Amino acid sequence: MSLEKITNPFDARHWIGHMEAEYRYTLGIAGERFFKEIKENERIMGVKCPKCEVVFVPPRLYCEKCFAKLEEWVDVGKRGEVYTYTIATIDIDGKRLEKPQIYALIKFDGACGGLIHRIGETEKVYIGMKVEAVFKPPSERKASINDIAYFKPAE
Amino acid sequence: MCEVAIVGVGCVGFRPITLELSYKELMFEAAVKAYEDAGGIDPRKDVDVFVTCAEDYLEGFSIFDEFVPDQLGAALRHLFTVSGDGMLGLATAYMLIKTGHFDTVVVEAHSKASDILTYMDIVNFGLDPIFNRPLGGHPYYIAGLEMNRYLHDTCTTEEQCAQVVVKNKKNAIANPYAAYGADVTLDQVLCSKTLFHPLKKLEISTPADGCIVMVLASEKVAEKLTDKPVWVKGVGWCTETPSLETRDWTRAIYTRLAAEMAYKTAGIANPWRDIDFAEIHDMFAYKELQHMEALKLCDYGEAGKLTEEGLTALEGEFPVNASGGLLGMGFGLEASGLQKVLEVVLQLRGEAGSRQIEDVEAGLAHTWRGIPTATGAVAVLSNVK
Repeated sequence: MSLEKITNPFDARHWIGHMEAEYRYTLGIAGERFFKEIKENERIMGVKCPKCEVVFVPPRLYCEKCFAKLEEWVDVGKRGEVYTYTIATIDIDGKRLEKPQIYALIKFDGACGGLIHRIGETEKVYIGMKVEAVFKPPSERKASINDIAYFKPAE
Repeated sequence: MCEVAIVGVGCVGFRPITLELSYKELMFEAAVKAYEDAGGIDPRKDVDVFVTCAEDYLEGFSIFDEFVPDQLGAALRHLFTVSGDGMLGLATAYMLIKTGHFDTVVVEAHSKASDILTYMDIVNFGLDPIFNRPLGGHPYYIAGLEMNRYLHDTCTTEEQCAQVVVKNKKNAIANPYAAYGADVTLDQVLCSKTLFHPLKKLEISTPADGCIVMVLASEKVAEKLTDKPVWVKGVGWCTETPSLETRDWTRAIYTRLAAEMAYKTAGIANPWRDIDFAEIHDMFAYKELQHMEALKLCDYGEAGKLTEEGLTALEGEFPVNASGGLLGMGFGLEASGLQKVLEVVLQLRGEAGSRQIEDVEAGLAHTWRGIPTATGAVAVLSNVK
C-alpha cells in the first residue's frame, strides 16, 4: 500500500467519461403481434400454454413454466385489477414531482402476469381496484406500451 | 471431495466517497490485506485462479474484465470475471476447488459507486426495453410496487419495516467497515419522505465505495495458511424470470431456491436452529423481512413480528445483519454478497469487535442483485469443519 496519499481534496483530480450507447431493440414475433393488436384493435392479448393452460401477459413464444412453444393467442380484455401499486414522488434524477405518479401492476382475469402501467384520472387507488385501459388516439399510436396512455378506474 | 475454506479476507471501505484512490488502487489495497490475512501468500505464485465480479455498466468500461489483473497480482495468471454479485464469484471459487484441480482461488468484488454520475440511469437500463422502460420514471418504483403487495399479503406493518432500519443502522455504528451507521428512531424512519409509497427514504440503502478480496483454499492448503479457517459448507444460487409481470411479488422464490440448494449441501434441516446468525440482503428494509421468510428462518409473514420483538437484534436470539447490513454499511453494488460473507467470516473468527455475537459456529450470508433483478445467492459458513 502507498506510503503517501492525497490528503487535500482539491488535489484529487478526475476525468469525466461519457458512455455513448444507443440501441434498437426489435419487438420480436410475440412483441410485433402484441403491439399491433394494441395499435390497430385496442386489444390486449396473451398467449396460452397448451400444457400448463396458463395465459401469459405480456405474450412470449415460450412457456416459462414448462418450456413449451406458445402459439394460441387470447384476448384478455381491456379491464383488469390493480394487483399492487405505488405512488412515486420523485423523478429519476431525484427531483420532486409536481404531481405524484401512480404506477400499478394490472392483472387480467384468467391470465398470469399483466402489465405495469400508470394509473390516471384518479388520485385514489387500492389493491383490487378495477381499472380499464385508456388508449391514445389512433394517430398518436406507435406500437408501444405508451399506446395505452394509462389505466383509469373502471367502476 | 475436499472441504473448502475462506483463509483470508481484506476489505477497504465502505465509505460514501473515495476521492484519493482509483478503483484499481481500491482493489490493490483490499488484495494486499487479504493476502496478508491469508498467511502472507504471494499472488504471483501461490494463487491458482483469480475470480473477479463486476458489471461493465457499473464500472464505466466496456469489457471491464480486461482491467483487473495487475492490481490483484494476476497479470498473466489464470483469471476471469463473473458478471454478477461477489457471492456468485465465491460459489465459482468453491466449485473450482471442489474439482480437485485447484487449491487456492482469490475472489474480488468492489464498488466505486461515487464514480458513477448517473447510477439511476444504469438501473433504469436494466428494465425491459419494450414493456417497462418506455414508461419512464425512477426505477425504484418497482420496489414500491413490491413492498406494497408484500405488506398486503403478509400483514407486515410499515412499523416493522422501519424497525429493520433502526436495528441495522444502530448495528453499523459498531462496524468500522460501515459508512452509514446512525442512531435513528422508529419515528424518524416513518416520518422520512415517502418516495415510492409505502417505501420511505430511510428504508432505501445508499450506495457506498469499497472493495473486498477473499482467499479460498482447499482443506490441505487452508490448514497450513491459517489457524482460523472458515469453512464453506454450502452455496446456492437462483434466478427467476426477468418478467416483472409474471414473477412472484411477495415470496422471493429466487432466494428460497438458492437457500434450499445451499442447505442441502450443508446439511441444514432447520435454519433457525442449525444456524446462529445471518447477513441478509437489505437494499430496501422490507427485503430483509421478505428474504428472512424465503430463507426459511421463519414462516411466511412472520419476519416483521420477529423483528419487532427484537429476536433479530444484535443481542436477540438470531441476530440478522449484525454488520449493519446494506442500510448501515452502504450498498456495495456487486460487492454486496461479499459484504455479507465478510461479516460472517469475522463473526465466526471472533473478530467482530464490540458487535461480536457469542458462541457462534455457523452463519448464513445471502445476497440479491437488487432492482430490477430476481437473482439471489446463499452461502452457509462455519468455523467447524
